[in-house]
Amino acid sequence: MHEMGIAQSILDIAIAAAEKEGAQKITRVNVVAGELRGLVPLQFTFCFGLIAENTIASGAQLNLEITPVRGRCRKCDETFIVEDYRYICPKCQSEDVETIGGTELRLRDIEVV
Amino acid sequence: MKISVMTDILEANDRIATANREVFDKHRNLVINLMSSAGAGKTTLLERTSEALRSKLRLGVIAGDIETTRDSERLESHQLPVVQLTTGTACHLDGNMIASALPHLDLSQIDILIIENVGNLVCPAEFKVGEDYKVMILSVTEGDEKPLKYPLMFRESALLLINKIDLLQHTNFNLEEAKANARRINPDLEIMDISCTTGQGIEDWISWLIHRHQSKFGNKKRA
Repeated sequence: MHEMGIAQSILDIAIAAAEKEGAQKITRVNVVAGELRGLVPLQFTFCFGLIAENTIASGAQLNLEITPVRGRCRKCDETFIVEDYRYICPKCQSEDVETIGGTELRLRDIEVV
Repeated sequence: MKISVMTDILEANDRIATANREVFDKHRNLVINLMSSAGAGKTTLLERTSEALRSKLRLGVIAGDIETTRDSERLESHQLPVVQLTTGTACHLDGNMIASALPHLDLSQIDILIIENVGNLVCPAEFKVGEDYKVMILSVTEGDEKPLKYPLMFRESALLLINKIDLLQHTNFNLEEAKANARRINPDLEIMDISCTTGQGIEDWISWLIHRHQSKFGNKKRA
């Protein structure tokens, strides 16, 4: 259940950003999370809704965009999307692949009134 | 109105972890963040490590547990410097909790500090605490599909210890499958088969620690 800790961090960052702009209320929060983070969307939105109560983010919609795992072949430099954790280069079939995406966890933007 | 934020959600934690790391480096501590599910053998490995490292390098431990202090009681009987962090409801240790433990340890008397994380394969991988390396234990009584279920932890770890290897024949754990799955997630992962009961592989683990300590600080004795 890492969803709760992450939701709390998002809420803190979102409220700080909204207050800085003098906003009254947060209506939407847009988060980008890599697939490797293993966030469970339903749990995540539930946790966020719970801790947002009695804050300016109360009732805000949490939008979670999951980004795929991306790999780069160390042999031929091809970059590609890794599906189902199959770290095999589609161009040269090498298994020497490094992960270059899929671990991001960012609060992209918020919508306020 | 839309406000662009673009903030890394774990940035606040990462900043504290970096500050911890500076403290550790100053004191010449090699720091290992030890992670596994509950019951995989973290505390037993620490007991083994304490015995095997004695007269070579000085070990210190920060032990995280949700409620009890049983782990630290077990370790204190080995005359190790141990700080217990009870995390309450939190399922992982974070940078801040480790920072709060530092005043209770004499870091100048420690060469290798092992941070025993809370037993859990998900959350600990998310939070840096200031470690040099993440090491994880997977025991053969768990399951060979674990790497695919908890990819982040396997991806973040430098070393995977497959524990309870003495029990392998009594389980349906497919060792080759587990290793292949782990390497699919992290091709650079080092893997060792160990048993904290029979002692198999413990020597390799100790050599790994000593080697990492030497490559970080050189062979020179502390001034």
